[in-house]
Amino acid sequence: MDYKYIEQLLERYFAVETTLEEEEILRAFFSQKEIPAGMEKYRDLFAFQLTERQEAPLGDDFDRRILSMVADVQPVKAREISLSQRLMPLFKAAAVVAIFLTLGQAAQTPWDASWNNQGTEYVVGYQQQVDTINVTPIQAENISDIPVDSVKVIPESLPKD
Amino acid sequence: MTRSFQTDVLPLKNELFRLALRITMNRAEAEDVVQETMIKVWNRRDEWEQIESMEAFCLTICRNLSLDKLRRMDNQTETLEAGHDPWDSSYGSNPEEQVMQRDRVMIVRQLICQLPEKQRSCMQLRDIEGKTYKDIANIMNISEEQVKINIFRARQTIKEQFRKTEKYERT
Repeated sequence: MDYKYIEQLLERYFAVETTLEEEEILRAFFSQKEIPAGMEKYRDLFAFQLTERQEAPLGDDFDRRILSMVADVQPVKAREISLSQRLMPLFKAAAVVAIFLTLGQAAQTPWDASWNNQGTEYVVGYQQQVDTINVTPIQAENISDIPVDSVKVIPESLPKD
Repeated sequence: MTRSFQTDVLPLKNELFRLALRITMNRAEAEDVVQETMIKVWNRRDEWEQIESMEAFCLTICRNLSLDKLRRMDNQTETLEAGHDPWDSSYGSNPEEQVMQRDRVMIVRQLICQLPEKQRSCMQLRDIEGKTYKDIANIMNISEEQVKINIFRARQTIKEQFRKTEKYERT
């Protein structure tokens, strides 16, 4: 074991020339069991530093007390949520609904040019009350979670051109 | 960077306590100081975003409040020895008594308690909290050179005391 290095560090420590890393080395060295006799007297100086560092008596009780005092002094500042963050769940829900409606609409539409011209009549048709039979099976299932008997809900006729 | 009380201030509580204790040498007063420090820091939250180091900011306030407390304690003719922790109650100031204790950790604590406040605060911040000289200078509002001088004097005092103690032990 090279004590020469430690001796040099000690000398520099007392001359206030050591770096933080070198001071850590001294603390680590002096926390060993075996210390050369000549250096024994410094053991407790460095042991003291390590012990003091662990002094941490303020626990959760303290936290609670401080947080309640801080709340009394001023109202707790609410975390700021932007408008788009607030509306995001709604956007998502609206998107899901829109997808289902579109799918439902697409399923109903005859795939020919005529659907273009149906325009508002078509839209009106699909805005009917949910509890009427003018609702497709897909729509009916989406309105409630109960499986639906397709036969009973197929509209009698689709709007014609 | 948005700072919050819970993430940036509250976790410093024990570090602040240790400094306050080193200065006031009284656990109850030290805890009061930490509480007052945190409330003061909270009341200055409009400055938080401009602060480079929240830790240094809090430690500075902590030290200043501790010094206020110390002055008030002294004014109440409470001596430095009164109100100390039980483990500091052995105030054998002559080396023979110290040798009989044979507990150098106690000796170190006692020695440090007897140092002038600037020396013991500098030593606390360097040797126990591991702060750079620059940080310590900032917290204590003195130059880096003065920080080093304070630490030098503190360490020399301790070294000298150990030398004396060893001399007595050998006889």
